[in-house]
Amino acid sequence: MTPRPPASDDHEPFDELAVGWALHALEPEDEAAFAVHLPTCDRCTATVAETTEVMAALAADLPRAEPSEQVRSRLRTAVEHTPQLPAVPEPTRPPAAAPASQPSAPAAAPLPRWRRMLPAALVAAAVATIVGLGSWAVGLNSEREELRSTVAAQGAVVENLLRQGRATVAPLTADGRQVATVVAREGEVTVVTQQLEANDSSETTYVVWGLEGEEATALGVFDVDGSQMELKTVGSGLTGLDEYPVYGISLEPGREAPSEPTDVVATGQVTS
Amino acid sequence: MGAVTTPARRPEDAERDADVIRRIRAGDRSGLDDLYDRFRRPAFALARRILADDALAEDVLQEAFLSVWRDPAAFDRGRGSVASWILAVVHHKAVDAVRREESQRRRQALAEDDLARSTPTAARDVEDDAWSRVVAQQVRAAMGVLSDAQREALTLAYYGGYTQREVAALTGAPLGTVKTRMLSGMRRLRQELGGTGVQDGALGALDGATAEEGRR
Repeated sequence: MTPRPPASDDHEPFDELAVGWALHALEPEDEAAFAVHLPTCDRCTATVAETTEVMAALAADLPRAEPSEQVRSRLRTAVEHTPQLPAVPEPTRPPAAAPASQPSAPAAAPLPRWRRMLPAALVAAAVATIVGLGSWAVGLNSEREELRSTVAAQGAVVENLLRQGRATVAPLTADGRQVATVVAREGEVTVVTQQLEANDSSETTYVVWGLEGEEATALGVFDVDGSQMELKTVGSGLTGLDEYPVYGISLEPGREAPSEPTDVVATGQVTS
Repeated sequence: MGAVTTPARRPEDAERDADVIRRIRAGDRSGLDDLYDRFRRPAFALARRILADDALAEDVLQEAFLSVWRDPAAFDRGRGSVASWILAVVHHKAVDAVRREESQRRRQALAEDDLARSTPTAARDVEDDAWSRVVAQQVRAAMGVLSDAQREALTLAYYGGYTQREVAALTGAPLGTVKTRMLSGMRRLRQELGGTGVQDGALGALDGATAEEGRR
């Protein structure tokens, strides 16, 4: 076994997480914690990049394999029918004021956080268009004006997304980082997952909760397949789903919502 | 970067790869065709190794390249080579797919297979060019210097798609030990694959002082 580096290196736990992150092998709780740390840490950024390079090198020793020609033609067809997401413009404007209506956001350094969120918002716009959610016409987060000015060129898609609608929107955060957005309507809750980790859909389920005072009401369940942004409609047949001041997401053992949440992974107040 | 990139790809490939990404970002569909031509074999080999199913691996291949087309901005030049990024996208999607698709029983059987395979073997398919052969030999040699436990942990995670906790359960080691093995194994691999005279990067960094700057 290679000797451990000196014990004085208290960054070691993060080095371990960085390797696990690149390998896509972290447990959900570790992955959530590291997702918060990674953007703040040059060393971990480099460790992830180096691990990724090593992983690519390892693939060189796999048995040669050629995919069938059909993959190419399927891919071409898919590409023809798949619009590209708009490129993220380089932010050139002066730092914006911290959004006032997002009390869970830490006061420090709002701009870097916002920069990271912009692509996610644009992905949401594209996802909404792709799945044909014409009625999904509400602001995604409180940075609406910022977003509007930055991506005005994107025209109809963004305008449609940002138009005020009859819906309740709650950005959910974990450790100050936005991980999902709940868009609640009278009889339907939609979750846009941004940073939620994939769950094992044979053993666990995510549950959306409406929170009011001490009361928690399960509104619906959903699974997360991958770490990409996904849009989940989790309508549960209940009504009044848009009437809660706070929404939350928990990860639960089993496949059904318990009477109260056990492991809350994200919460957020309604902003619109 | 470059320390590990060099053995994996020919140096002159980097600029060509960057150009292909530029074309894809400009909406040029032939750029994606070129990207696919360039990486389909290693990408397929990796997906196939993880999924042990050609049809699923082809689905993952299509999904991975389509995601590159949809969001080419996801590639960040500062974070490594195009080649490693593509393979990381494929790896990620293949692992997601294996976690989705495999029944527990099948996973168990594959795990035993992965454990068996973590022993390095010399007998492999004949590579079709000298460069690949050299790289493959380097990789094999590098894997060979790992301890059995390091190799086992990395193999189960990388090819098996197991989480650290699953690796711990499969190998009967504590979770913390598994994390440490993966890190030390990666450090060792990077050292071996980086060749001699290469400055230690973040993976090999032993100096805690620099890390403090990035801490929160």
